[in-house]
Amino acid sequence: MMEIRIENLQQAAGKQAILRGLSLTFQPGAVNVILGPNGAGKTTLLRLLGLLDSPAGGEIHYDGAAASALDRSGRTAMRRRIGFVFQAPLLLAGTVRQNLEYAGRLRRIAADRRGIDRVLSETGLAGREDQEARQLSGGEKQRLQLARVMLLDPELYLLDEPTANLDPLSVKNIEVAIQRLAKSGKTILLATHNLIQARLLAERIFFLKDGRLVQEGGVEEVLSRPISLDIAEFSAAENIISGDIGFSEGVTFLDSGKIRIEVASEKRSGRGAAVIRPEDILVSRQPIASSARNSFVGRIAAVVDLGVVLSLSVDCSGEVFTVFVTRHSFEQMNLVAGVDVALTFKATAVHLLPIE
Amino acid sequence: MDYLLEGLRQGLALLFPPSREVLQIVGLSLVVSLSATLLAAIGGVPTALFLALKEFRGKRLVVGAVNTALAVPAVLIGLVVYTLVSRRGPLGALALLYTPGAMIIAQALLAFPIITALALAALKGIARDTRDLALSLGANRRQLAVALIRQGRFAFLTALIAGFSRIVGETGMTLMVGGNIKGQTRVLTTAIALETMKGNFEIGIALGIVLLLVALGINIALQWLQGK
Repeated sequence: MMEIRIENLQQAAGKQAILRGLSLTFQPGAVNVILGPNGAGKTTLLRLLGLLDSPAGGEIHYDGAAASALDRSGRTAMRRRIGFVFQAPLLLAGTVRQNLEYAGRLRRIAADRRGIDRVLSETGLAGREDQEARQLSGGEKQRLQLARVMLLDPELYLLDEPTANLDPLSVKNIEVAIQRLAKSGKTILLATHNLIQARLLAERIFFLKDGRLVQEGGVEEVLSRPISLDIAEFSAAENIISGDIGFSEGVTFLDSGKIRIEVASEKRSGRGAAVIRPEDILVSRQPIASSARNSFVGRIAAVVDLGVVLSLSVDCSGEVFTVFVTRHSFEQMNLVAGVDVALTFKATAVHLLPIE
Repeated sequence: MDYLLEGLRQGLALLFPPSREVLQIVGLSLVVSLSATLLAAIGGVPTALFLALKEFRGKRLVVGAVNTALAVPAVLIGLVVYTLVSRRGPLGALALLYTPGAMIIAQALLAFPIITALALAALKGIARDTRDLALSLGANRRQLAVALIRQGRFAFLTALIAGFSRIVGETGMTLMVGGNIKGQTRVLTTAIALETMKGNFEIGIALGIVLLLVALGINIALQWLQGK
């Protein structure tokens, strides 16, 4: 299992700094998700780790070996332990099989029928070997890129937003393949800004912004207890309500000017933002009797079908909440736009961030 | 009008069958211009690859210089090569003036910026991707070079065709450094110029047809290669 440690890593494009001194250690043999908005430096970081570019400063250690100490053949040898899946698929003209064979030939790995069949079936491309690679759909091209890397069986996988803008089937295929690779002990670095994917796959999350590490930790830690508004906005963009923190009758609350949300916090005053995950909000037709301290009635403004679940926008006195309901409850409760519903959540489900 | 048609008729008659002199002129034209194209490509293709792949301080200046070199008049290159290879010049000892060698040097210098600039323009879109792909799959230096040449072959051939077409039809500069010596440095263009000025239109026309055919033939051959 390859361990990657980086130290004060810096990169710039012209005068523009992209990575501003990044130091972190990725978890070997696990899916490490690199999360962050566009321009955070995710691609730049992966390219440096893949030895495709040279950093402006800092150091990368692969199993303790410093990248800067590698000579040309050392770098080639290290690249052979690494697989890179580019965000925009890089495929050669020719068939699917020829693309796989090219990779095998470069590395003098016999890309025989068995190996090719195996990686194609693991990426859901079985039977496609004679198709023109550049005429595949976007999702299939991405799966072929992954299959090509899998054929070479590297220890470290660098995946740069491999499922961005792909069809659901391809996304599923790629996610399953990633999970299987992680189980077999590969170290995986996955850059994404798909939160559902991060929750599904990540064992560790690294949140980058403006070329800096903002937060690092387990999935729950980073996504449910973000230490900065940047992460909250990015990860729980659904429900962030800002207002004044107040304290009365033994409870801390946040007053947005439109609604008042009870929070479990030691804070007594100042400005703050309440972050509430959509999945922590219970939706019902009538207000329910519960120990939960927050209950609001609102009207469904919009419904978005996400497949297994539906996302509702509910307007409660001018604050719009995003909530999830399963298809089953959605149908049972007869929910459509314009219907009034009650939203209930616990004070402890509210994560309060101070705003300076 | 009549004398044009007559010239054309006589010109065609001269080519079927072609005289030894015509064959020799055609042969020398091909040898000189193909050698010059090859020489320019040996310099220009790696330069274009280097410029397409590497980021360095002053790169824009270098690319600008290559593009500016496209506008340098052939006669100026002729002047420079003449001074270089004339007896008192730095390469005078090689006694290259009025030899095919001097013509090749001059034509290669003329073709170099054309090949470099065109190859660079066409490579822009593919060089980085090809490099990323090959390196990420673990290619070594030689494998990377092979991948770049394979992926860039269209770009290179297009550039070579343009370079060759330019120099095979070049006259003034070739005359300056070659001297148009019968049987030694006389090529198609210089022969056409001479014969036309002597009033031998029919020979000029005959050679003009050959020049067109040579250019066409080389283009077809290279395009056929591209298709492969």
